[in-house]
Amino acid sequence: MDIVQVKGLTKRFGGIVALDGADFSARLGEVHALLGENGAGKSTFIQILSGALNHDGGDILVDGQDYRPVNPDEALGRGIAAVFQELSLVPDLSVEQNIWFRREPRTWLRTVDVSQMRQQTLELFERYHFPSIATTREVRNLTLAERQIVEVAKGLAKNPRILILDEATSALPASEATWLLSLARQLADEGRLVIFISHRMGEVRAIADRVSVFRNGSTVATHDAAAVSDDQIVTEMIGRQLARLYPERMDTATDRVALQVRDFSSPPMLNGVNFDLREGEVLGVGGLQGHGQREMFQSLFGADKALGSVTLWGKPVCFDTPRQALSGSEGIALVPEDRRGQGLLLTKSVRENLSLPVIRRFSHLGLLNQRKEAELVRETMKSLSIKADTPEQIAGTLSGGNQQKVIFGKMLMTQARVLLLYDPTRGVDVGTKGEIFQLMRQLASEGYAILFYSSDLPELVNVADRVMVLRSGRVARMLEGDDITEEEILRAAVFDSEAA
Amino acid sequence: MNSSSKQLQSAQSMNMQSRLLAHAPFLVACSMLVVIVAIYGSLQTGVFTIDEINLNTAAAMTLMLAATGQTIVLLRGGIDLSIGGMISLGTVIAATRFGDDPANILLWSGIILAIGFGIGALTGLLISVLRLQPFLVTLAGWSILNGIALMILPTDGGKVPEWWIGSGYLEFLGLGTPVWILLALIVFWCWFRATRLCTIIKATGSSEKSAFLSGVSITRINIITYGLSGFFAALASLYLTTQIGGGSPNIGTDYILPSVAAAIIGGVSLFGGRGHLFGTIVGAYILTLIGNLVFVLRVSSYWQPVMSGVILLLAVLASSYAEQKARKRGS
Ligand SMILES: Nc1ncnc2c1ncn2[C@@H]1O[C@H](COP(=O)(O)OP(=O)(O)OP(=O)(O)O)[C@@H](O)[C@H]1O
Ligand SMILES: [Mg+2]
Repeated sequence: MDIVQVKGLTKRFGGIVALDGADFSARLGEVHALLGENGAGKSTFIQILSGALNHDGGDILVDGQDYRPVNPDEALGRGIAAVFQELSLVPDLSVEQNIWFRREPRTWLRTVDVSQMRQQTLELFERYHFPSIATTREVRNLTLAERQIVEVAKGLAKNPRILILDEATSALPASEATWLLSLARQLADEGRLVIFISHRMGEVRAIADRVSVFRNGSTVATHDAAAVSDDQIVTEMIGRQLARLYPERMDTATDRVALQVRDFSSPPMLNGVNFDLREGEVLGVGGLQGHGQREMFQSLFGADKALGSVTLWGKPVCFDTPRQALSGSEGIALVPEDRRGQGLLLTKSVRENLSLPVIRRFSHLGLLNQRKEAELVRETMKSLSIKADTPEQIAGTLSGGNQQKVIFGKMLMTQARVLLLYDPTRGVDVGTKGEIFQLMRQLASEGYAILFYSSDLPELVNVADRVMVLRSGRVARMLEGDDITEEEILRAAVFDSEAA
Repeated sequence: MNSSSKQLQSAQSMNMQSRLLAHAPFLVACSMLVVIVAIYGSLQTGVFTIDEINLNTAAAMTLMLAATGQTIVLLRGGIDLSIGGMISLGTVIAATRFGDDPANILLWSGIILAIGFGIGALTGLLISVLRLQPFLVTLAGWSILNGIALMILPTDGGKVPEWWIGSGYLEFLGLGTPVWILLALIVFWCWFRATRLCTIIKATGSSEKSAFLSGVSITRINIITYGLSGFFAALASLYLTTQIGGGSPNIGTDYILPSVAAAIIGGVSLFGGRGHLFGTIVGAYILTLIGNLVFVLRVSSYWQPVMSGVILLLAVLASSYAEQKARKRGS
């Protein structure tokens, strides 16, 4: 019998229908993938399963018994734990404190037994081959990928029968993503149920036994993974056929250098990066995570400090703050890594998020031209198919992928023509990914210059004109033309090569 | 190999640095205290004697007790202005009910502490249920409690027995009652900060959403933190009666802002999640010693609030500087 059975689940947020009669059924021992567009209701569904949200209607049976958890503790009591898409870690606590939060081993004085806790952490890390992270570091000092790994550890530490992974791979670099996939497989083979949400078809293919597809808050179908094609799944997800994911290659790069970077360093992460980004070019950035990519993007945008010379459209510049970087059409705009920290004002509306950074464009003598603002906001939302009820919906209540699109839109509304895209398609569904790539190509052909980092190798290979691979804070290789393959990028990222 | 071990080293030194940065606000507070003590000591003889320590600790103790509760609430990300009302209420109840019988005094001390915890818990419950700003709820709470205190005892007065007053000035091994209370506070905190509860309180202050997703009942945490704050305010009021020898219906108001200031000066974050009682204790000493300093410098006593303000500002600057540094490093 299936351990989880869901019938006709509904959930509304005010006027917004998030779940509209979803059905679902899964058994122990399988990896069950959940697919669907941004805003299809996947996260809402698993939040209900894991006790973070109440549902309005429908039935859930766990072990054949009625199930309606009012909080995450009750869900755990029935063996269900989730790794949330918007992580649940506490920034001011250490890694180990987060992993064992509220379940710390205690001494006879009722105080936390720190050495025991450390021991347990190391055992957990060892048993499941976790990538190494110092257990005493504060979570606020971790990178997004590291946080994601800690969040997985936190879920596993509860030893659940049912583990839910909501886009847990989306923030991970390739090697860690592979690790997590095999971990999910191992857990299923141990007899647990893993519910796995991802927008990457390759990952789903690699580990899923069955696949359920959500669209607009209800279930379209459940398949045996072996018996269904990618095309069919994608068609069910987006309700139409996807013409193509990657845009046609066009060489739109001119000889004019938009961004020239020399001896760019900020030890220990950045140790002298040199490159030219040309007008009309999409320059990919690759390499293993933690080799300076993030620091390079942050520093170019003026959010971090670095030494070296940067020339923008022929003029030497030195940005100390993002505000300087953003000013005017000669500026630089960034899609940052951490959408909840840096990217979005979570408590403000979509409209405000899009227009606040460029509010000066709509004001004249201190008066706001609301019509012009509304028009531009509407246009941006449409061109990125941002799924929000109205422009006034609060950004924090959008689905993960749609938040990412708002950040992208925000950057488009600035007039900067040098764009730094740090993993811009993280958590974005296939349909919209295609549209974003299309848009990048179109912008390039209009003379924009784009620096594009992606944790997903196929994206780099298929979208970038050239790929620069960073290793230890330096450009290890610049790949061009036919050299741009997944193997070459990996090779350059790992081994010393002729260009080094 | 070589480069990776170098990387490791630099990572370790970075770790050291960020640990230092994390303690920067506390260290700044400690150095300010040292400077103030040094100035004080150079102007006045006999500063470095046990007597002087007893005296100053006695002067700081009410504030320390009140600020202990405030620290717990601040760590949770809240603020408690109602302690002002609670302290006043505590003194007037004691001054009107104690009488002479030790058993009766013990009973009423217990009742006052229970009232403190109960009213605090109720405040926490209201904050959760009404979903209102703690600032507003506790501001109202202060006003209400103050009103009740005035109904019980309209002007300073009432009385507590001599031996009760004397108990505030006992000496054991040369150390006075307040110093022993201080040591008890320190022991309490060494224990408390290692408990699960303290981790949960800090976590809730650091990120309420994360705490909720991890299964924390926010209502329960509010009840506990504001309850503890009320309890410590009641404790402060009991100690205060040994100092003023009776009840005073408005006296608690004097402790509201200093209790927040002591914690902030000691490095407790106004935004929750960071800080500890040792900082608050240092902060309370600083605020108290400024009073002495103004006295020995023979300047107008109006300089005391001015200097307190400047020190508060310096402390806030230090912690926000450290915060920014830490952000840059991490994130
Ligand atoms: N708190 C909320 N208030 C209002 N609307 C909400 C809230 N939470 C979710 N929604 C809406 O519910 C819908 C479903 O969101 P959900 O997060 O479940 O999507 P998802 O399938 O996980 O998408 P993604 O792939 O982008 O993560 C979205 O339209 C979203 O805007
Ligand atoms: Mg989601």
